Amino acid sequence: MMWIIILLLFLVSLHLIAVVERWSIYKNWEFGHPFSVFMSHFVQENVKPRKHDKTFYETAPILFITVAVLTIGILPLADSLVIVNIATGALFFNAALAYIMVALLMAGWAPNGFYAMVGGWRFLGQLIAYSMPIVMAITATVMRAESMNMLEVVRSQADLWNIIYQPVGFVLFYVASLALAFLPPFDLPDAPGELTGGVFAEFTGMRLLVFRIGRLILIFTLSLAITNFFLGGPLGPWLPGFVWVFLKTMMVVTSFFFAGRLMPRLRHDHILEWSWKYGTPAALFNILWVGILLLL
Amino acid sequence: MNMVRLIILAVLGLGAIWFAWRVFMTSSMVRSALSLLASMAILGIIFLVLEAEFLGILQIMMMATEMSIMAIFMMMYMMDPGGMGNMDMSHQKKLSIGVGIFSGATVILLVAFSDWGRIAIQIPEASKQNYDLGMELMKRSMMIFETAGTSILVAMIATVLPFKNRKKNNQKSTDNG
Repeated sequence: MMWIIILLLFLVSLHLIAVVERWSIYKNWEFGHPFSVFMSHFVQENVKPRKHDKTFYETAPILFITVAVLTIGILPLADSLVIVNIATGALFFNAALAYIMVALLMAGWAPNGFYAMVGGWRFLGQLIAYSMPIVMAITATVMRAESMNMLEVVRSQADLWNIIYQPVGFVLFYVASLALAFLPPFDLPDAPGELTGGVFAEFTGMRLLVFRIGRLILIFTLSLAITNFFLGGPLGPWLPGFVWVFLKTMMVVTSFFFAGRLMPRLRHDHILEWSWKYGTPAALFNILWVGILLLL
Repeated sequence: MNMVRLIILAVLGLGAIWFAWRVFMTSSMVRSALSLLASMAILGIIFLVLEAEFLGILQIMMMATEMSIMAIFMMMYMMDPGGMGNMDMSHQKKLSIGVGIFSGATVILLVAFSDWGRIAIQIPEASKQNYDLGMELMKRSMMIFETAGTSILVAMIATVLPFKNRKKNNQKSTDNG
């Protein structure tokens, strides 16, 4: 019963993410729109570019969605409920996200097209730059929990959520999540209006559908991760754990789109520069900060 | 070790070897790098099957980033990165075959004649694993990590710097002309 509710909530979340994303662009609520877009991909023609790299072209969408789904597996969805409870959960989260980059690199290279390739390589630089702050922010939460097990990370926040305990880590994780899901203002890899779709430029029909659903799941996964690493996951009064997880995740998603649309798209060199010059040192400071707090 | 696990290990091992072979059978640099990534990721899965959880996940994680960086560096420096110009990029064949056979034989000998200690029966709990890992990283393995990390960084800077200077010189010459 529990699993059915969680699965339903997951599907509702995906739908809501799509609705909120549309709202953030066109400023109107259209709850039926995701369904019509979903259906339209089935009737769309599957156009393949000439001389494309067949293996990568077919692998990229599948790898992308697989990684996004796999990552949900290690994140707690309710009180002491996690699909795969492994001792190195926090590290696994990172390992999985690295393959988002591999998938987009394949997607950029495979179609043998200019815009796609620029988008793919852009994401490579962006992810490598922003996975550093994310790894270090996770390290600091792991230090507090004294375990890489995700349930322990949640349990360590029973008294005080990590967002207050280590605010620098939260900000870094939040910004890096925007970059990892290439949401605005970090939407350089697909860059609507500039690269004509970027990495996804040459994908149509079912393959594009897989990419778009994968992107929604990725945004969900990252919000769920923020919820669990910094917002206490299922911890909260009165309501059952899974409701809290759902509410917090949706709040983070909405804030993603809200924050993103207030900013102009950033320049690629600025994005990289800020991450390496300011993000990484700030993450190191965060580790030091948590270390001092733990020793006090 | 039970039979099923042994069969899985054998299949994974063959998969790793197949992808390693693919690395040299393609002229496309990106295909080559991603084949190597597949081979290395399979090694990570082998670690997972052997219940070395941390090592396995670390291997899978590190290789994704490393091989992608390698792909972009090969794209930058190869004359025919897509492999569509039918360029033969192999050289020093005899030497490389010799080195390959010698190092392969050395590794096999090392594996065969090493004392691997006794097999751990019980897996320590998560926090103990973290503790052990920290002790290992900060003591014996520190020197290796530091050396490897620094040399890779130096190599990356050294490959980028010559191009930076060349760009400056070019600009100067165009300014004068």
